[in-house]
Order: sequence, then structure tokens, then C-alpha cells
Amino acid sequence: MNNMKTNTLLQKPASKNKMMTSLKDFGLALKHGDLFVKLSALVLGMGFFKRKQYAKGIIYVFIQIIFTLFAVFVGIPSMSKISTLGTVEYEVIYDPNLRDNVVNNYDNSFLILLYSLFAILFTVVFILFWFNNIKHQYRIQKIVEDGHRLPTFKEEIKTYLDEKFHVSLLTLPILGIVIFTIIPLIFMFLIAFTNYDENHQPPIKLFTWVGFKNFSLLFDFGRSSQAFGYAFGIIIIWTLIWAFFATFLNYFGGIWLAMYINSKTVKFKKVWRTIFVLTIAIPQFVSLLLIRYFFSDYGIMNTIAQNAGLLQFFKDIGWVKPGLAYIPFLSGPVWTRVMLILINCWVGFPYVMLIATGVLLNIPKDLYESAEIDGANKYQQFKKITMPYMLFVTAPYLITSFIHNMNNFNVIYLLTNNRPTSDLKLAAVDARDVDLLVTWLFRLTSEQANFKMASAVGVILFLISVVFTLLAFNYVIRGNKEDNFQ
Amino acid sequence: MKKLVLVMMIFILSFAIIACEKEEEIEEVTLTVWASELDQTLTRTLADEFIEANKDEVKLTIEIGPQSESTAADSILADIEGAADVFSFADDQFNRLMEAGALQEVSENTAAVIAANGGATSGSIMAATKNGKLYAYPMTADNGYFLFYDKSVYTETDVQTLDGILAKAQADNSIFTMQINNGWYLYSFFQGAGLSLSYNGTVNDANWDNETGVKVAQAIIAMAEHPAFENRVDADFSAGVANGTVSAGINGVWNASVAETAWGENYAATKLPTYTLNGVQTQMASFAGYKLVGVNQTTDEPYWAMKLAEYLTSEQAQIRRFTAQAWGPSNVAAAQSTEVQASPAIAALALQSQFATIQNVGGNYWSPTESFGNQIVDTTLSSTSTAAEILAALQAMVQGIEAAPAS
Repeated sequence: MNNMKTNTLLQKPASKNKMMTSLKDFGLALKHGDLFVKLSALVLGMGFFKRKQYAKGIIYVFIQIIFTLFAVFVGIPSMSKISTLGTVEYEVIYDPNLRDNVVNNYDNSFLILLYSLFAILFTVVFILFWFNNIKHQYRIQKIVEDGHRLPTFKEEIKTYLDEKFHVSLLTLPILGIVIFTIIPLIFMFLIAFTNYDENHQPPIKLFTWVGFKNFSLLFDFGRSSQAFGYAFGIIIIWTLIWAFFATFLNYFGGIWLAMYINSKTVKFKKVWRTIFVLTIAIPQFVSLLLIRYFFSDYGIMNTIAQNAGLLQFFKDIGWVKPGLAYIPFLSGPVWTRVMLILINCWVGFPYVMLIATGVLLNIPKDLYESAEIDGANKYQQFKKITMPYMLFVTAPYLITSFIHNMNNFNVIYLLTNNRPTSDLKLAAVDARDVDLLVTWLFRLTSEQANFKMASAVGVILFLISVVFTLLAFNYVIRGNKEDNFQ
Repeated sequence: MKKLVLVMMIFILSFAIIACEKEEEIEEVTLTVWASELDQTLTRTLADEFIEANKDEVKLTIEIGPQSESTAADSILADIEGAADVFSFADDQFNRLMEAGALQEVSENTAAVIAANGGATSGSIMAATKNGKLYAYPMTADNGYFLFYDKSVYTETDVQTLDGILAKAQADNSIFTMQINNGWYLYSFFQGAGLSLSYNGTVNDANWDNETGVKVAQAIIAMAEHPAFENRVDADFSAGVANGTVSAGINGVWNASVAETAWGENYAATKLPTYTLNGVQTQMASFAGYKLVGVNQTTDEPYWAMKLAEYLTSEQAQIRRFTAQAWGPSNVAAAQSTEVQASPAIAALALQSQFATIQNVGGNYWSPTESFGNQIVDTTLSSTSTAAEILAALQAMVQGIEAAPAS
């Protein structure tokens, strides 16, 4: 039985069959069901009353009433305006006698969109419920016809603590995912197709559908005057470069450090480890803000660099423009990018070091011993034993940290917030040359209230994350890889 | 069973009685206020006084949150309904807030508010007026900038010209500072040269991309490349004044107390200097800035919100704000008080006011000017740049300034 279930889940044709049988059951139920089964297509749970299952009947009727009320008072009024998202603008007149604002019966585009989304979701759920309801009625009709006893309400409740315990257990997490992840995600997706921004902000202004306009702005790569495409191109490339370096430099830096501390030549191993772990103990934003202060144009690092002749050296080799009186650590576009990656190493690699230390201690010593007997040198041992082992254990970490780095808001924003850009086209869309998609998105929402473009960027960011995650998990952590590891 | 019904009845009745009692009580109103981080204490005191003064009529609860005036519009427009009922903001954000419809028209005591601030043609009222209607309460008339200097370094003649200041600063081995990569300050050079910038309610219009503009840019570059000059943001200005590296700078009253503490007896302030444009001394212009208090259009309590806003910007409140923060009053009577008149910063603003214009600019002004200024700061534009290169940069900036807002 169990096997069959997993099969139907895994194999597409089987699940298609399942749907077909489900539909067939429904047809049979309607055809062979008695009057009450048929009536329950109109009034949910009629069959329950006939079979004296009053409690369940009342619950079903109650659900139908709630749904009807919702549809009449919220769902249908909202859905009727979904094509325009409202036409009546907010108008207000202050009445000094009432000491209050008199507001007309205006449309709120935001609520129309939100309620319509709920209406659609509830309707889908209700239809499934209705569908199952009829099958359910027919099932109990047959149980009674076959002369079996129907379970009482109490007994049925009890099954949710027993054989249906998985249902009780999973309800809350699934509800949570739907309410806090899926609905906002769909909503953001919808906003990306509207002109919801600073000047179209409910309740005072209306917003409406604009089709793919926001996406075409993002993907025209610099042809439009608004420069969204130009900024998008620069930012997405930098996001990927950043994620690559931030992930792999940290990764190999951490492994190298762990191996070095682990090696026989190093004394006071625990002391070194503790020192590096201390960087984790200090809240990241504190270190970042301090680092920002150190490396600012007139900060202490620049004073040191100037006194040490570094500034002149960089000017001589052409890395710093001759007119500058400081090294633009966090203000020059290229300097900032390199510094960001290095600073991120500093705050990031102790984590990898900890993980790597654990993994390294777990590698069977006999592997190294036999390798040594076979005459392998240190590098060969690293390449053939250490790295494959590390990669095997930490692949999931590597993937998640790549995604995490693509969305690494803290490092970028705390170090470069309020940093002006010389690029007029970037500035025009409130982007900075070191912005990641996620920091740009934040700027667009919190500083510009440009929700439509932020949503469009959000959708793209979501798609990229999903694609990377799926690809990586498919290729790296395919189920039974343990056997292949040698 | 009967007992149960009895208990239920008593329970329900007691609710009814409580409900009846409530009706007799006076109205309860909760208001939120966003005020500057610097102005929290005074705002709290004024709010408490306002509660006390109106306690016969209404039971007020006033919550105060910190919100810098310079970025108030960002926070308000992120969620108008979630924003405070009463908020203070700098007048450069007035147009942005109006576009979004976030401001409630001043509809209680309007005439009195206008009169107290010097009538309909006064700068502070004009900064809060659109289409003949007043949309905010003027709180300060000091949100402009002027020159701070250390009297032990500069004489009164030195500070008349930019060249004089830079020469003295270099001799003193200290720093003169101003923020070039900020459209607010950058404006002073272009406007001073007689170039124009205007806003018709939808788009900006500027004529900075011509030969004069190139000369202006070259003058800014010359200043930027002077060894005694540093481009510094606000916080770095006050830090520099405090630790003695900065001896003069262009900034606003919000840093007056920092300068006064650091320089003591030698603290002085005056109008902006002149700069050398094509061999001629040209007076730097400035934005005349105001801080305004607005009422949220979506507030549930417009009457009390307006009353509170009026109280927070009343003559007495403005005088006390001056005493606490050295913020210059917009209220005419308050501005006349001897204390206010004695303040060097306020006197400097008054001197500068003849060269100042109201900040009537559209939202697309800020980003391009910031970037243009930054090109000078990061030496993309330098004294080695040709006139054609500078002109191209100016044209790109003006194109950005004049761009139509995204529809």
C-alpha cells in the first residue's frame, strides 16, 4: 500500500490516473447517489443530516454560509473591479462642523487586488471541498447500504490523533507557508504587473494594470530613457560576480584556515580557533559599521595609507586617480567592489572554518595513511581525499550560501548605504554601482516607494534563486550519492 | 441550568452598563507624531501641554516617534496609511508629498496660521502652499545653509571670497569643507551664476548646460582640487569641526551648536562667500529652506491632528525650539525676539536670504546633481577635462533633471 502511494506521487502517468479515478468517483457519486447526496451538491452536508451525523452536517453548512457571505460582501464586489482595480478616486472635504474629513465612497486598488486574490484562493479551496463533499456523502451512503456502522463524530475526531495524525501535525506549518510565503509571493507577482508606486498609492490614488511594461523596462538594457534596463544589467552581473567570489573565497579561505590550524606544525590550536570564532561573537553589523568608518575617504586607513606612502604607490601604478587625496576604498566603483568581497571574507570565513574543522576531524585517518604508503604527496592527498570529502559533506551548505550571498543585504547595505554614484543613469533609477538586486529592491521600496519596479525585480530575483537552487540540488545532492563516494 | 442562565444574564447586563457608562465619557483620541531625533524632548513636552490644555474636551494619547526631517517623505510614502498623523519634514519634500496626496489641507484657523508666519507672500507660507491652498504648518525658516568659520583663522575680509577662505585655510593647515555631491549645496554655484532652475509642477527646467555652466563647473573643480578643500558629508563636517581639522565650512543651523561648542568665542557665521567665475567675483546663492509640519491626509482625527500641528508650530513653541535647538523660527513674532536676533547662525541666514530662493524643485533634481557632483569628487571631471567633456557631463545632468517622472 505504502509503495503504491509513493509510486503515484513520483510517476506522472499514475498521478494522472489518480485524477481520472477521482473524477470518475465523482461522476459515480452523482449518478448513483440518493436524493440527499444529490441535494448536497446544493447545500453542503445534506447527506450527513440524513445519516444523523448532525455535528458534521452543521459544520459543512456553516462553511457554506461563511463562504457565501464572503463571496457576496467581499469576493464579488472586489472581483467585479479586478479588471480596472477601481475607478473612483479618493475625494475628501473637511467639514469644520463635524470636525472630520468627509470622504467619498472610493475604490482602494490595494484592497481590491488583495481581496480578489483571497476570493480566487477561497473559491478554489471551496470547489475542492464541494467536490470531496459529494464523494464523501456517497461513501457514507454506501457504508450504510452495506449495513456497516458509521463512525461517530467523536470517533472521527479521534482519528486525527491516530491514523490521520499527519494531517493534524502538518496543518499549522502548511497554513503558515500559505499565509506568510505563498500569498505574499503571489501578491508581489501581481504588483509587478501594475503601476503601484509613489504617485499611485492607495487609498488616496488608484493604481491599475500595465501588463508587462515593468518587465520590458527591466529588459530593454539601456534603450529607454528611464535606464531601468541599464541599471538592471549592471546590477545582475555584479550580483552574480559577488555571489561567486563571496561564496568560494569564503569557502576555500575557511578550509585553508581550518587545515592550517589542524596541521601538526601549529601550536595552541584552541587559542587560534577561539580568536577566529570571536569574530562571530561580535554582531556582524557592529563590525561592518566600524569597518566602514575605518575605510572611509578620510578615515584612519587612509591616514595610515598616506603616511606609509601607499597612496602615492597606488597613484604611481594608476590604481588611484592622480587628483584624489585619498584611496577611495569604499567610494570608487572598482575599489569598493574588491573591498566588499575582502571584507565579506573577513566576516564570513570563520563560519566555514568551524564547519571545515568538524569535517576534517571526521575524515578517516587510514585514508591518509594508505595514501602516504602509496606515495601521494600533500597536494595529491588534498585533491583526492580532503576536497572530495569536504565537497560531499558541504555541498548543500555551498549552494545555500551562494543563494544567501546573492541576497546578502547586510554587508552591501551597511557598508555602502548613502554612497553617491557618478553614473547618472544609475542614479536616475536610484541604483548604485555596488547594489545587489536585493539592496536595489530595498532602496526602490523604502526610499522611492516604487513598488511596481521593486516587485518586478523581486520576481526576477525569485526566479534566479529558484533556478539555481533546483539545478544545484539536482546535480549535487542527488539522493543515493553516498554509495558513489570513495 | 437556571443558575447558568442567571449568571449569563448578569454578565451580559454588566456589559451593557459598562457600554452606557462609556458613552458619557469624553472622546478618546490617539495621535502619532513623527519628529526629528533632535527634537524629541521638546515635542514630548509640547504634546503633554497640548493634552493638558484640551483635557476637558478630549482624552488624548500622543505617541512620538523619531523620524529625520530630511528623509520623512521616504518613510511616509512607503505607507501613507501607516505613517504618523502629524509629521515634520523639510520643504524640499513638499512637492513629492503633494503628488502622492499625503497632506491634509490646513482647514482650521488657516488665516491665523498664514498671518503668524508673515502672510501669504512670505517664503515659509509659499513653501507650504499649492494652488492657493495651505497644506502644512511652517515650523522653522532656517533650513538653508551659510558659512561657518573660526574667527581665530579667518578675518571678516577673508570670508568674503572663496579664494580668500581657501588661501587662509591652506596657510593654517586646516580644511574648508562643503558637500559637492549633493544637489542641495551644488545649486549655490549655478544659481549664483544666474543660471535658472524651475519646476512647473510636473517637470524641472534647467539651463545649466551651456558655456556659463561649463565655467561654473570649472570653478567648482578648482575649489575641489584645492589642497585645503575636502568634500565632506554632514556628519564628517561636524566631526571635523569638533576635532579641529575643519576651520570653515558651508552647512546649516543644525550644526550651529557643534560649531559653537568647538570654537567657543571664535565661532562665527555669515553669508556664503563669492567665488571666481571667469575672473569675476560671483555671489553664491542658496536654497531658502523651511521645516514644515504636515497632517496625514488619511488620519482618523483631522481636527485634533491639525490642532496639534498648530500647537507644535505656535509662536511659543518656536521660541522654545530656538532655545533648545537653535532652530530659527518661521513665526514672525518669534523671529523678532531678541534672543533669536542675537544668534550668529540666524543672522547669517538673514544675510544670505537676499541670495536665497525657495526650493521649488521636482523629485528628479536630486539624483543627477548628486552624480554630477560626485564626478567632480572622484575626479572623473578635473582640471584636465576639456570644456567639451564638462559640457557633455552637464548635458547628461540636465537631461536627468528635466526627465519626466516615471508614469
